[in-house]
Amino acid sequence: MNVRLLRIELRRSVAPWPGAVVLGGSLAVLFLVHGIWWEGTAGWTAQWTTMALWTRYLLGFWWSLVVGMGAVYGLRDSRSRMAELLTTTPLPAWHRAALPAGATALALASGFGLLVLVGGVEVALGATGYLPLGWLPISLVGALALVATAVFGMGVARALPSVLTPPALTVLFLLLTSLLQQSSDGVLPSSVVPNRLALLSPVTAEPREMLLTLSGSVDLGQTIWLLGLLGTGFALLSAVNRRARLLAVVPVLVGAALALLVLPAAPRDTYVVDRAAAALVCDGPVCVTQADRSRLPELALRSKEALRVLHDALGAQAPNSVREDTQLRALSDERRLSAGVLLVDFDDRLFADATGEQLTRALVAAGIAPSCFANNAREGGGQGYVAVQSIATSWALHDPRLRSLEGVSDDPYLSDVWAEAGVAWQRLLAMPPAAQRAQIAEVHATAVSCEGTGVGSGTDELSVLAGKVSR
Amino acid sequence: MRWLILYTRSRQVPTSAAAVALVALAAWVCNRDGGQGSTNPVTAALVLTAMVAAASVGLDGRDATLERTAAIRWLPRRAAHVLLIGALTGAALLAAQAAGATLAPTEVVLRDGAGLAGLAALGAVLCGAHLAWTLPTGWYAFAVVARLPDNTVGQVAGWMICPPGTAPSTDTALALLVTGTVLYAAAGARR
Repeated sequence: MNVRLLRIELRRSVAPWPGAVVLGGSLAVLFLVHGIWWEGTAGWTAQWTTMALWTRYLLGFWWSLVVGMGAVYGLRDSRSRMAELLTTTPLPAWHRAALPAGATALALASGFGLLVLVGGVEVALGATGYLPLGWLPISLVGALALVATAVFGMGVARALPSVLTPPALTVLFLLLTSLLQQSSDGVLPSSVVPNRLALLSPVTAEPREMLLTLSGSVDLGQTIWLLGLLGTGFALLSAVNRRARLLAVVPVLVGAALALLVLPAAPRDTYVVDRAAAALVCDGPVCVTQADRSRLPELALRSKEALRVLHDALGAQAPNSVREDTQLRALSDERRLSAGVLLVDFDDRLFADATGEQLTRALVAAGIAPSCFANNAREGGGQGYVAVQSIATSWALHDPRLRSLEGVSDDPYLSDVWAEAGVAWQRLLAMPPAAQRAQIAEVHATAVSCEGTGVGSGTDELSVLAGKVSR
Repeated sequence: MRWLILYTRSRQVPTSAAAVALVALAAWVCNRDGGQGSTNPVTAALVLTAMVAAASVGLDGRDATLERTAAIRWLPRRAAHVLLIGALTGAALLAAQAAGATLAPTEVVLRDGAGLAGLAALGAVLCGAHLAWTLPTGWYAFAVVARLPDNTVGQVAGWMICPPGTAPSTDTALALLVTGTVLYAAAGARR
């Protein structure tokens, strides 16, 4: 009986719309806009956890629009001017409220669930072979957030039946979202308001570091708070008198109070490193994280060759192991390098899609002249430095002519750098072999210690190589 | 005059005007710095979106069937209604700025007011007046969250938060104003 009623409600009301809009809109944004969500190791289809976090990030617009759509649905009775008539139905008020609330919940949960399913299929078909279960609570809280806000919107619209209620709620939630928004530019995502308050918004920071996940206390606290919001929404929806409407505020207050006790106060306890994903898997001297396990066979094969080349080029100074770079860094911060270990950052443009011989070259480059600044989709720190890395790699691999590690760019600054690199390459080859080795060793020492001001741009090393500066 | 009073009442102008004034007051209180602070197109766009959303609920009367029988020309009245929404919301924000708040350069306010009013009219034509707010708020949310690239596509899609003097953004706002006004003037809100 109830299933039949629910089906009729879904077919004849606006209830399916929020779910359809969330699904269609998210897929349109994710697939039609080639945004940052497609880039790097924290892309939305790269890992299960990042997929869940990206769909939560999209709540940035959905949870404010969904509260408005819920309010429109909640205004149905008063818009058709039959709220008074419906109060005479011989059914308890909560019984009448349950049907539209259930229809909304079903539509939104299916819409968001299908979005996560699309993401899950993409991840499953992708390169990663790592399947954690920690992403499930992240997505479940996301679905709960949508349902709770929609029902809350319905309840508020029932209590304040004005045509202005839906836009007012939406704008209010948009404002709250932007106030509570966390930024992921720092070492750990943080916000301008106190951490506990910021976590009342279900919108997560933009995923940037693959290994970060939400801690359990965040999931628990947000669940409590959202259940409070849901309770208030439902109580408002089924309230028949002023006293019931006043009492309806209790669940959200209790939920917020309990949630503030549970939610962590520091960003350090909010986003935590997923230890299982960060555990190292090794093949001889080559180690990667569990999450990137699928890259190990190719990397191990190429590293063997690269380490041999590096040993020939640098002698005792050469790195003797290869490890995935897992440090958490603020945006545009310096990387921490060490002489004995070759750090591989899979976000780096050199390594992003490198396979085969290209991967060997990238490893040699990172071995002789590791860049102190990241060169990836978000940061362009080491772009000029690629010229120095190319010279070092071409020299170490005995290339007949200078081979660039990346495609030629039409940036006027970079073409200057490459012109200078051509001169430096000729100067280097003109030197006697022993002097060549000394030059390369000097480049290596400078690179590893991250000394000098223009390290990121590469102009310092180019001057050294071109012999302009005598040290 | 009597006609105008009745018309504004049928378009819920008193409620909308109160809401617009409230938003302007809130914007003034939150950004009050004596004109010294830095401008922020995102905040300005949010304030204008809120104002236009509040004004858009009156893009339809209480009884469309009854109104159709009136022997008056709706086309110029409807067009004027959309243009007035854009003009008055922009003026409300500029008044808040004149009183000492810093939000955005005048050019951005004019562009966003015009584009958002057109968008709200388009929303009324497509979804009905009670849902006209969905298009302005939806586009605002999209522009803010979607991290658009800094090329022509990004400047068109994020027209309301681009800095002043961005030609594609201004063109988009004008196109939205013209499309929305023409369609709404010709067809009226969807019932």
